Amino acid sequence: MPAPNSAQTALDLLVLTVLEKRGPLHGYGIANSIDELSEEALKVEEGSLYPALHRMEESGWISAEWTVTENKRRARIYEITRAGKKHLAAETERWTNFSKGVARVLKFA
Amino acid sequence: MSWLTRFRNAVRPGALEQELDEEMRDHVERRIQQLEASGVAHEEAVRRVGIRFGNISKLREESRDARLTRFVDGTIQDLRYALRLMVKSPGFTATIVVSLGLAIGANTAVFSILDAALLRPLPVADPERLISLSAPGITDPGADPSPERLAFSYPQLKGFRAALGTGAARLALFNFPRAAEVRGVEADAPTEHAVSQFVSGDAFQMLGVTPALGRLFTADDDRTPGAHPLVVLSYDYWQSRFHGDPGVLGRRIIAGAVPNEIIGVAQKGFFGIEPGQMVQLWRPAMQYDKQAFEEAGWSWFEIIGRLAPGATTERVATALQPVWSDNNAAMLKRMPTLPQAIREQFLKSKVIVRLAPNGVSGFRRAYETPLWVIFCVALAILAIACSNVASLLLARAASRASEVAMRVSLGAGRLRLVRQLLTESVFYALVAGALGWILAKAIAPLLVEALSSKQQEVALLLPMNSTVLLFSTAVALLAAVLFGLPPAWQASRSQPIQVMRGVSGQAGKLKLGRFFVSVQVAFAFGLVILGAAFLFSLRNLVHVDPGFRPEGVTAYTILLGDPKLSESAGNQLTRQLRDRVGALPGVTGTAGTAFAIFTGSSMTDQIIIPGRPPSEQQELFYAVTDEYFRTMGTPLMAGRDFERGDAEKKDETPAIVNQAFAAKYFAGADPMGQRFRDPSDRPTFVIVGIAGNTHYDDLRGTTPPIVYFPLKGLSGWLYVRSAGAATPVPEIDREARAVRPGMRVGEVYPLESLIRGKILKERLLAVTGGTLGALGLVLAAIGLFGLLNYSVERRTKEIGIRAALGARFGQIVGLVLREAVGLVAFGLVLGFGAAVFTLGALEKLLFGIRPADPQVAVAGCLVFLIATLVAAGLPARRAAAVDPMTALRSE
Repeated sequence: MPAPNSAQTALDLLVLTVLEKRGPLHGYGIANSIDELSEEALKVEEGSLYPALHRMEESGWISAEWTVTENKRRARIYEITRAGKKHLAAETERWTNFSKGVARVLKFA
Repeated sequence: MSWLTRFRNAVRPGALEQELDEEMRDHVERRIQQLEASGVAHEEAVRRVGIRFGNISKLREESRDARLTRFVDGTIQDLRYALRLMVKSPGFTATIVVSLGLAIGANTAVFSILDAALLRPLPVADPERLISLSAPGITDPGADPSPERLAFSYPQLKGFRAALGTGAARLALFNFPRAAEVRGVEADAPTEHAVSQFVSGDAFQMLGVTPALGRLFTADDDRTPGAHPLVVLSYDYWQSRFHGDPGVLGRRIIAGAVPNEIIGVAQKGFFGIEPGQMVQLWRPAMQYDKQAFEEAGWSWFEIIGRLAPGATTERVATALQPVWSDNNAAMLKRMPTLPQAIREQFLKSKVIVRLAPNGVSGFRRAYETPLWVIFCVALAILAIACSNVASLLLARAASRASEVAMRVSLGAGRLRLVRQLLTESVFYALVAGALGWILAKAIAPLLVEALSSKQQEVALLLPMNSTVLLFSTAVALLAAVLFGLPPAWQASRSQPIQVMRGVSGQAGKLKLGRFFVSVQVAFAFGLVILGAAFLFSLRNLVHVDPGFRPEGVTAYTILLGDPKLSESAGNQLTRQLRDRVGALPGVTGTAGTAFAIFTGSSMTDQIIIPGRPPSEQQELFYAVTDEYFRTMGTPLMAGRDFERGDAEKKDETPAIVNQAFAAKYFAGADPMGQRFRDPSDRPTFVIVGIAGNTHYDDLRGTTPPIVYFPLKGLSGWLYVRSAGAATPVPEIDREARAVRPGMRVGEVYPLESLIRGKILKERLLAVTGGTLGALGLVLAAIGLFGLLNYSVERRTKEIGIRAALGARFGQIVGLVLREAVGLVAFGLVLGFGAAVFTLGALEKLLFGIRPADPQVAVAGCLVFLIATLVAAGLPARRAAAVDPMTALRSE
């Protein structure tokens, strides 16, 4: 399991949040949403999204299905699962605590 | 992700990568489109997107790893754990592997025979389009329905071929494979036997069989009856007899009576069209008896064909029916005396055309039902073994309960636990499967050998091929699920808190255990009853009095190089041979006949008594020499035996009939001196003697009416009764050669073995049914023992208290035995019901007992009672020996 503060965890959190807020999306849509939400502050290689998606699918946090999109393209649509929502809640809390801690240190050090 | 997807990903990573590629490609294309829409040039867009997306092949690796590592790592971990457990308790492991291995072995062995004889298509091109022809059997009034007729005559085949033209199907001729004498052309070459079959010239082409060497027959080898001295070898025979020498082409061997040129070897693995028979030589049908090509009544071969593309069996049947109807009408005209009931059957007869992808087989016809029965018995054994192993695993799970609880409370996923237990089960099953496979390889040929008799040799190709391997693997995996799921399910419900408190769901575990013991008892008792029924049937058959004394009588076939012999010369030779053999030391009687009893050969005809209509039924006619009755030990009730001069009589035929015949046709009158005819032009029969009733071709049913009449010409068979051991063949052979050069002994059959050959099916069922029944019983007893033993262990404290309070030895033993009875009773009822139901469906295979037979039930119960007492006795003794003080102190 990656450390709670790793970049991987951050990406997972972003993906899960996007999927929870915006509903089922394909990979491209998720990438766009992350860009949009973070106002392009987070510059990750877009491709690294896919291993992350597959890893999260393996962990059972999201589920995926092939569908045909509006413009007749085959796309893999991802959806957050119940386990994913639970995980997101727990991680969000941990992340908030962690960043609060970091912020405090930065402020008072 | 579903288990299925995950499994697919693990075994087919290619598909996974393809999907991933598609997904990423899609993403890249969209991004490029987006950039282009905002005015960026295509090449610049591609470059930018490439940077932004990252290294695709590295990403692909990462993604695959994400999916596979967990699955593979987990499985390796599970396997390691399973292996450690197996090694840690070798006794436990051995019990599981051996009992499962036996069950899987029995299943695989029986299946490999089923596969070879019943299921596997012929090794020819496109077997799905092969067809076979047959016709409904003609049944004598009041007799059991006859089986379908498969034999056709040459004029019929010609008619069929003409009717089909080049249309719906091609038809080819295959006669019934026989052991033929084969020897080299050199004067002193020894004689051997090879299974030989006559085929029409187009037979190989029709099947799509290719030569491994030389050429095969063609339509040109179908021209002239009596000509075409050619032979094609099977690949196996070429290998074993000629060591695969390519120089055999053009060599000549004597098969039958004439030298035949070897023109080719058939493709490897082709054994003919009869599973159960391995043909070694094929000869052109034209070599068969010339008369057979003219006579419509001489049915001597089967017809196998191939559907033309798009044609159906119905279309072929419709095309053939007019020929068949004409043929039957013509036959009825030739036989005006046939009774009405039989004429009607002929008139209504419809030719049957069936798909025959696995050929036609006498072996299959005879053994289909018994083989399926044995297969079901083997499956029942598997069920017993599975419940046995399941209860063993459950018992162990009980002792591992705290370990499991610990892991659950430490956060192990329940699914992960179940998976680990299932991996363990699969591992056991696969090891047992390997053992079973080895066992099957040894058992299957033995089973086939048991089915083979000298008169009807059975040979099956039993390669332990991929089908069989697949089957045993499937059985092993099925078993793993059957015995692995209950313990896994139980573990998944483990309640850590309760286990830690020492409560543990023991009641639940025992409930499941009880269920499994009941299942085992039901199956095992069913098998014991089934086995007992087959054993009783066999015993009854063996004890049937055939009406003569077969022990000490041996039948020899007498061969003569030159078959053209006048009747009186034949009589002369028969007499001389019998005189010489009769003078040999130890020989107490000799008799000649055209064919031996219990070989399936018979001659039947209607009985025509003056002043009465011809008989409805055809009766047996049997040609014998004088002294036949004395040699066989058949009593003569009245009148006289045949005399030497009887064979020469021209004006009338002296006949000896048996009591059954006399009672049927001359009831209430003195049969002696009565006269009757058969439909041929043979002189009128006059009854000169009455013989005792005997069985003729089987031991089932009543003894049939028989007319004995004097043998004319050379006898094909010689019965010899010897006082001590059977007279050695060389001695008889020497006498034959002395009578006439070229005359010699062919085959030798002790009469008892001929009779035994008729109850092979019953013997097979009794031996395998009995053995598997015993195996099932032992497995069930082990299961019962295990459960009771565990139960006593668990109740040690309770028993200790009872003992301390003054319970006597008998009371404590009774406690355990009562539990045993409770466990067994339900299974007994169920097993008995199932067995009786099954036997009801198999009534034809039983003899002298009913499906619900009291003696079978009593015998089965006794056997089972003994097994139960043994299985329950040990735990009971252990319970009785519990020392109150130790028991109470232990907790």
